[in-house]
Amino acid sequence: MNKYFTAFIILVLSFFYIFFSNDSGGGRVFVNLLTFAGIYGLAAIGINVHFGWTGLLNFGHAAFMGIGAYTTVLLIPHSLGREGVVISTGLPLPLAIILGLIASALLGLLLGLPTLRLRGDYLAIVTIAAAEIFRLLVRDFEDLTGGVYGIIQFSDSLQNSRPDFITQFSENYNISSAQLWVGLLTWFSIVFVLIILARLKKSPWGRALRAVREDEDAVRALGKNAVLLKLQSFMLGAAIGGLSGIFLVFNYGTVQASTFVPVLTFYVWAALILGGVGSLGGPALGAVIFWVIIAGTDTISRFLFESPDGQQLAGVRFVIVGLLIMFCMIFKPSGILGDKEELLLDVK
Amino acid sequence: MSNSILSVKSLKKRFGGLEAVNVDSFELYEGEITSLIGPNGAGKTTFFDLITRFQSADSGSIFLNEKNVTKLNSYKLARLGMVRTFQLTRVFDRMSVYENMKFAGSSIKNEGFLKSLIQTKTLKQQEDHLNVKIDETLKLLNLIEMKDSYARELSGGQKKLLELGRSLMKNPKILLLDEPLAGVNPKLSEELLEIILNLNSQGINILMVEHNIDAVMKISKRVVVMAEGKIISDGKPDFVRSDQKVIEAYLGSSDD
Amino acid sequence: MIEQLGNGLLLGVIIALGSVALSLLYGVTRIVNFAHGEIIAFGAIMTLFFSSSPDSSLLYLDRFSPLGINFIASVLLSTVLCGVFGGLLELLLFRPLRKNNFGNIAVLVVTIGLSIFLRHIYLLFASAKPTSYILELQRRQDYFGIQLTPRNVQVLIVGFIVMVLVGIFLTFTKTGKAMRAVRDSSELANVSGINSDYIILVTWVFSSMLAGFTGIIQGVINNVRWNMGFLILLLIFAGTVLGGIGTSFGAMFGGFIIGILVQLSVGLQFMDGHTEAKNAIALALMIVILLVRPQGIFGSKDRIS
Ligand SMILES: Nc1ncnc2c1ncn2[C@@H]1O[C@H](COP(=O)(O)OP(=O)(O)OP(=O)(O)O)[C@@H](O)[C@H]1O
Ligand SMILES: [Mg+2]
Repeated sequence: MNKYFTAFIILVLSFFYIFFSNDSGGGRVFVNLLTFAGIYGLAAIGINVHFGWTGLLNFGHAAFMGIGAYTTVLLIPHSLGREGVVISTGLPLPLAIILGLIASALLGLLLGLPTLRLRGDYLAIVTIAAAEIFRLLVRDFEDLTGGVYGIIQFSDSLQNSRPDFITQFSENYNISSAQLWVGLLTWFSIVFVLIILARLKKSPWGRALRAVREDEDAVRALGKNAVLLKLQSFMLGAAIGGLSGIFLVFNYGTVQASTFVPVLTFYVWAALILGGVGSLGGPALGAVIFWVIIAGTDTISRFLFESPDGQQLAGVRFVIVGLLIMFCMIFKPSGILGDKEELLLDVK
Repeated sequence: MSNSILSVKSLKKRFGGLEAVNVDSFELYEGEITSLIGPNGAGKTTFFDLITRFQSADSGSIFLNEKNVTKLNSYKLARLGMVRTFQLTRVFDRMSVYENMKFAGSSIKNEGFLKSLIQTKTLKQQEDHLNVKIDETLKLLNLIEMKDSYARELSGGQKKLLELGRSLMKNPKILLLDEPLAGVNPKLSEELLEIILNLNSQGINILMVEHNIDAVMKISKRVVVMAEGKIISDGKPDFVRSDQKVIEAYLGSSDD
Repeated sequence: MIEQLGNGLLLGVIIALGSVALSLLYGVTRIVNFAHGEIIAFGAIMTLFFSSSPDSSLLYLDRFSPLGINFIASVLLSTVLCGVFGGLLELLLFRPLRKNNFGNIAVLVVTIGLSIFLRHIYLLFASAKPTSYILELQRRQDYFGIQLTPRNVQVLIVGFIVMVLVGIFLTFTKTGKAMRAVRDSSELANVSGINSDYIILVTWVFSSMLAGFTGIIQGVINNVRWNMGFLILLLIFAGTVLGGIGTSFGAMFGGFIIGILVQLSVGLQFMDGHTEAKNAIALALMIVILLVRPQGIFGSKDRIS
C-alpha cells in the first residue's frame, strides 16, 4: 500500500504546485497539463505492453502514434498543406479511428516480422530507424501529408460530439472547451484500455507474454510460439500508441511534420519509467508527474537563460528527460507504482 | 529390438575450426531410457540443441517417427512431443513456481489473444483443471511447499526440478534431459532416478545427458558415448563400461 | 549519378569508421550504445572549440570562447579527449552497472537516456546552428571522373589509413588480439586469464577515440551541429547490420556501401524533389536486410538470436 500512498502524495503536491505557480488561469493550465499527461500516459501504456509485459524495446513509438493519427485525420474532412486544399467529405470519426488503430498495428506487424525473430536489440534499432523514416517521409511527401504545413481543420469531427454541459462548464471556468473534451475522452480511453489490459494481464495470453519476457528459449521448449506472442504484443502496444497519437493531434487541432518527431518517444519512455514499468496504472501516473516536472523545467530554463527561446526550453526539457531515464533506470527501475519483485534489471 | 522413434543421419555442426558435433547415425528406440555420456565439451549439449532445433545443423537430417523434422521450428518439434530441459537451467524467474507450471500446461488455444480477451467458461474450466495436475507433479518433485514462491528464489537443484516438472506438464512422448542430477543432493537424486524410471514405465521415452556414471549405469537400458563430437561407443551399460575406447576418451589419451 | 560518387565515398568513410567503433564496442561489451552518436558529435564540437579563433564571431558556445589552437593539434587533442570521455563513461557508469548485474536491456535503456541528455547539452551549450571549421574554401576538382576537393581527398586517405591501422591493431597487437578474444567468447577469455575489465576499458577508450575522429571527419566534410550524431548513428546501424554485427571488417564494408548508396540514391528518378528521403532509403534497406539475411553479409548466424 505504501507505494500507492507515495503516489497519492506526489499527485497532491503536483496539483498544489500547479495552482500556486499559476496565479492567473490555474484551471486552464490544469486542464492543459492533464490532457497532455493523459495522452502521453496512454502512449506509455502502449510501450508498457511492449517493454513491461513482453520485454520488447520500442524506441519508435512516435511512428506508431503518427501513423494512427495521420490515417485517421486523412480519412475525415480536413484541409491540407500550403494551399489549404479543402477535403469536405470523409468517413465517420469512429470508423476513421478504428482504421487508424489498424494502421498502427499493421506498422507494428511490418516492423516486427523481420526483427522479432532476432535478439532484442535489433528491434530497438529498427524502431528508432522507423521513427526517423516516418519523419522524413511525412516531410517529403507533402502532397499526402501537407509536409511542414500540415493538416488543419479536422477537429470538428470530434468537437461536434461535445456535449453542451461541457461547453457551459468551460465557459464558467475560463477553460478551453475543445481541450477539456479531448482530455476527458483521453482519460476515458485510459480507463477503458486499462480494463481490457487488466483482463488480458491475468489471462493465459498475458501469462505467456510474461514467460516470453523471462526466457524465450524455455517458452519454445514448451512448444509455444514465442515470435507470434511477441508479434501480438507488439501490434497491441502499437495500436494503443496510435490511439494516443490521434488524441494528440485533436488536442493540437493540427498536425505537421514536426508533431511526431523521434524524440517524442523519449517523453513517453520517461513517463513510463517514472511511473513504473510493468504495472498497470503506473504509466498514466508517471505521465502526470512527468508533465509537472516538465512544467518545472521551464522555470529552470528561465533561471539559466534570461529569456529562453523555444530551442532552449526544449533543450532543458530533454536534458531532464535524458537524466530521468538514466537515473530511474539505474536507481529505481520499478518506478513509483512498479512491483519491486518485478525489477527489470537483469533482463538479458 | 523395438521401433526407432527418433533417427538422426550424418548430423554435423562446426564452431569456427571446432567440430562440435559429427554424428553419423543415431537412433532412439521406443520404450528405453538411453543415456548420453562423454567428457566435458564432447558435444552432448550441442547435439541436444541440434535435434531439438535450438541450433541449426550445418548438414544432416533428423526424423521423428519417420517424419522429416530437419527444418522444423523448435516449438513445433516440442508440440510433436519431444520436450527438452536445459543444462543451464531456464525457469521463468519472475513468475511463481505455480505460474511456471501453469504456463507449461496451458493449451496453446487458450493462449490465443482473442480467447484470452473473451475468456469463455470452458477456458476458465480448462485452466482450473490444470491445478490438479500441477499439484500432483509438484508433490512428486517435492516442490509443493514452494508453490507460491518466485522461481528465482529456488535453489539451483530446485530449479532443475521445476524445469523437469514443467516439461512433464506437456505430457511428452520423448523427454530430453540435460544433466538432470547436476546440483541435486544425493538423497533427492535417488528419488529423482525413481521418478525417471517411473515416467519411463508410463511410456515416456527418455534420452538423458548425465555425468553421474553410477546413476547412468543403474537406470539406463542403453548408453551412448560421445567424444569430440563423435559417437564412439553405443550399447548396454556393461558393454560400454568395458569398452577400451570409452576408457581412453575419459582418461584423455585420445589425442593421437 | 556518377557525380554523386564523390559524396558517396565521403559519407562512406564516415559511416565505415563509425561502424567499426560501434561494432568493436558491441563485440566486447555486448552494449548497443545509443550514445555512440553523441561521442561522435563530441569529437567534432571539441575540435571546433579548440580550433576556432577566439575573436571569431562564431557564437557556437555562448558561454565559452574558442581557444584558437592550430587545427591539427585540435584534432589530436579532441580525439584524446574523446578517449578520456569514453574511459570515464566506462569507469563511472557502465562498469558499476556491470558489477551490479544490470542486464543488456537495462543498459541499453541507460545509453538511450545518456544520448538524449548529451545531445541536448550540446544544443544548449554548443552549436545549435550548423557551423564549419575555419579552413580555407576549396573548389572541387576532377579525380578519375570523381568530383572532390583536395581536402576531401586528404580526408579519404586519412580515413583509409586509420582503418588499416585499426585492422593492424586488432590483428597483430596483444591488446587487439585480447579484444577479439573477449568478443568471441567472454567466458573463454576469462578462463585464459585475460583481464576482461581492463580489455573493456581499453575498448571504450579506443572506440570513443575512433568515434570522435569520425565526428571530426564529418565536421570537415559537412559541418558541425549539435544533433549530427543522431542521424549518422542510424546510418551506422544500417552499415553495421548490412556488414554483420560484431565483425570489424564487415562493419567497414557495410558502412561504405550504405554511404555510397545513400548518396547515389539522390540521383534516382523517383527521388526527384525528395532529397530528405535518401536517408530513409538506407534505413529501409536495413529493415529489408534483417528480413532476408539478418546476420548481414559477413556475420555469423549464432550472434543474432
Ligand atoms: N556457441 C558456441 N560457440 C562456439 N563454440 C561452442 C558453442 N557452443 C559450444 N561450443 C563448443 O562446442 C563443444 C561442445 O560443447 P557442448 O556444450 O556441446 O559440450 P558438452 O558435451 O555438453 O559438455 P559438458 O559436459 O561440459 O556440458 C565445446 O568445445 C564448446 O566449447
Ligand atoms: Mg553440456
